[in-house]
Amino acid sequence: MTNLKYRVATIVALVLISIWALWPRTVIERVKRDGVFVYDTIQRVPLKRGLDLQGGMYLALELDESKGVVSDKEDAIQRAVKVVRNRIDEFGVAEPTVQTVGNNRIIVELPGIDDPERAEAVVQQAAHLQFMITDETNALERAMTRLDQIARDAGGPTSRGALGDTSKASQVTGLEKLFTQDSGAKGADTTKADSATSPIPPTGGPISSLLQRGEMPGEFYITQENVARAEYYFSLPQIQQAIPPGKAVKWGADTMSIGGQVYRTLYVVDSRPIITGESINDARPNTTPIDGTVVEFQLDNEGGRKFRNETRKHIQDYMAIVLDDRVMGRPPVIQGEIGVRGQITLGRRDMQQAQDLALVLRAGALPVPLKIADVRSIGASLGDDAIRQGLSAGALGIAIVILIMVVYYRFSGMLAVLGLVFYSLTTLAMLAGFGAVLTLPGIAGFVLSIGMAVDANFLIFERIREEVDRGKTIRTSIDEGFSHAWSAIVDTHVTTALTAAILYQFGTGPVRGFAVALLAGLAASMVSAIFVVRTLFLLWLNRTRGTAPLSI
Amino acid sequence: MLRILHNTKIDFIRLWKQAAIVIVVFLIPAVVMIAMSGFNWSIEFTGGTRIQLQFQNPADVSAVRAELATAGFPNAEIATFGSPNELMIRVQDPTAVAQQDRAAGVVVTAIRAALDRRFGAGSYTVVGAEAVSAKVGDELSGQAALAVLIAFGITLIYLAWRFEWRFALATILATMHDIVATLAFMKYLNLEISLFVVGGILTVIGYSMNDKVVVFDRVRENLKKGRKLPLYDLLNQSVNETLPRTVMTGSTTLACLLALLIFGGDVIRPFAWVLTFGIIIGTFSSIYVASPILLWIERKYPRLGVDKAHISASQARAESQVEPAPRPIRGSKAPATGRR
Repeated sequence: MTNLKYRVATIVALVLISIWALWPRTVIERVKRDGVFVYDTIQRVPLKRGLDLQGGMYLALELDESKGVVSDKEDAIQRAVKVVRNRIDEFGVAEPTVQTVGNNRIIVELPGIDDPERAEAVVQQAAHLQFMITDETNALERAMTRLDQIARDAGGPTSRGALGDTSKASQVTGLEKLFTQDSGAKGADTTKADSATSPIPPTGGPISSLLQRGEMPGEFYITQENVARAEYYFSLPQIQQAIPPGKAVKWGADTMSIGGQVYRTLYVVDSRPIITGESINDARPNTTPIDGTVVEFQLDNEGGRKFRNETRKHIQDYMAIVLDDRVMGRPPVIQGEIGVRGQITLGRRDMQQAQDLALVLRAGALPVPLKIADVRSIGASLGDDAIRQGLSAGALGIAIVILIMVVYYRFSGMLAVLGLVFYSLTTLAMLAGFGAVLTLPGIAGFVLSIGMAVDANFLIFERIREEVDRGKTIRTSIDEGFSHAWSAIVDTHVTTALTAAILYQFGTGPVRGFAVALLAGLAASMVSAIFVVRTLFLLWLNRTRGTAPLSI
Repeated sequence: MLRILHNTKIDFIRLWKQAAIVIVVFLIPAVVMIAMSGFNWSIEFTGGTRIQLQFQNPADVSAVRAELATAGFPNAEIATFGSPNELMIRVQDPTAVAQQDRAAGVVVTAIRAALDRRFGAGSYTVVGAEAVSAKVGDELSGQAALAVLIAFGITLIYLAWRFEWRFALATILATMHDIVATLAFMKYLNLEISLFVVGGILTVIGYSMNDKVVVFDRVRENLKKGRKLPLYDLLNQSVNETLPRTVMTGSTTLACLLALLIFGGDVIRPFAWVLTFGIIIGTFSSIYVASPILLWIERKYPRLGVDKAHISASQARAESQVEPAPRPIRGSKAPATGRR
């Protein structure tokens, strides 16, 4: 009896977890509104759709060795990935993925993109690295009154509807409130980053209210929620013209978190770079006893001469490392005159960061020739068709299975259908939990594994019938039915799972999606047939006390 | 209660020779055709370009063909796809594929430029496009073959451990037969072998092994009961005992596939066809391929404890085929009037 209680509790818990895993939740995503990309909170079921279901573009890039052999392929691919990732925003898509496959291929997936040629161009462009001195002259602060005025005239993205419809407008103000509260609270924060937190002199303007002064000259913090608005303002041509001559505004590549709030950094830099990536020969991470983790870099002779002159003028200034218009990491301070050999000290920060920074420097130094080996674009209309087809096929498949089960096995068939409901729920929850991407082959795999999931029920029910035929009691028949079918169920599931696992290991794209759906389905099917349906039988036996005839 | 095929005593295995003839007759023309013209590989394997276009007006296929020929793609395959407004263009010949070596998208760009010249830029939209360079394709076919071999190897080991090597070998050989038969089926229908379809073949492997495991599981159980029944009869008995399950599972899975065939659309349909055939052949081969092979292995390498004389005797009986009435192959434990 207690055993039965635990069984029911386990099933209820699994169902609740599955429902929770599939419940629509609020996520912050980059979405396109009126042609402008903004971060917005939207409610959605946490199952990602693959490119074939939402439309988009798939690119496979390879090293192009037609103009000379690339000696260190692995490093070249890593550099290329760094560069392509850094340009993700230029693709203008919500959730791009960039990943390496093997050691010579990069896969880029761009959901919802409608301009394949531009995407190809962006991917193949050579990387551009610059060292730039951050602004020491409060140039942005001094121009702020004008910038605010221009922004006010231009109107915010809200008034043009770019940040969403009117219902979203209230949300934006909500976020602003949150922002002010937070900046107040942050005064107590121990980080010295913004001990001043003095808003820039002309406060309250459309731009100035978004910016907080950062830790070093020319550095500003912008909360993640406000990044889209700030990006919008700084992309306006009028604003760009109004930025003081000789200065440029560059976004930081990474986000940082201070006191629980996520910030992006914005840097005002001298628009003339002190050197560019072509002057760099090599960069390597290292650990030294005195300075801790460092990145050592080496310049060519001409670059070294130039760098010596510039660094002499800029001792105690900060130098931003700008890759493709984005500032990588925090700008280091220049501590003295530097020639051909230089070192960026990261102190106690981990080796990972040093490796990353060295990779950035090498990426700017050694352009990686890439060619497109595989390109696929799927129109959004095809994706809609695919979803409709998948849903119809799934609905019909499930209807047929339910019909067969209930007609053939009556009451027991209904228990099996309950098991199938459990099966479907947990399979989808597992896919959501693993962050699996739902593709058309994935849906096909799911529909197919419904057919295979009922196989376990057939094995068990036929076995129970046999035992009843032999004149055994209902309770014994059910017990024996399950225990005899057990070995066949385990062996069939394991053999199929082995095949699916190998498919996953060796397959790419569509085959993988299919294999993941199949694997999740097999796991859920085992639990459903052996545990859930059995518990339902036990519950029924408990109610009837073994006196009622079994309808099977 | 509703029951089908209950308590059957069909001597399935007696018909294995006829079954073998059917298999050979089915396979030979396909093997000849494959030897002559090979498979219809998709661009994922050969390299090439596929573009799906939607025209505003019904598309003029011959005009498109002429324009593509002048653009340097005389071998392009052009077909309407769904409605008369939609066209599927496939360029797969070696010269075009060679062009794609530098950048896979060049043929797409060239075709679009040619169509823009002839029909005007706004007269059609590219619904979907796919371009693969030859090297990617080569790697893929290698990977697929490797995946199948490894799957076989691992399953062989697993089944040898769970059952014993005779069962494992019979399962693998029968499953290989299923693959060959499925490939023959694809050749007859001239189905394109895409990556997705290869996934379908691999699923057929899984399903087919599944079915053989269920039958052999029953054989294993019946062997454990220790009755001195010849293996021939034991196999027949096990096939009959699992028959209701075989038919129910087969028909339910086929019903799901039917749903995919009807609603799945052009992308899924070839996959669904492959699985439909594969599931039928997989069920058939459990009875008519796996079981005779097991009998044959057993005769060559008899296991300890099974009476060799019994097997040869039953073989002799099977070959003489003098008994028209089905022999009782069921144990006598269940009452003969077990129906209710």
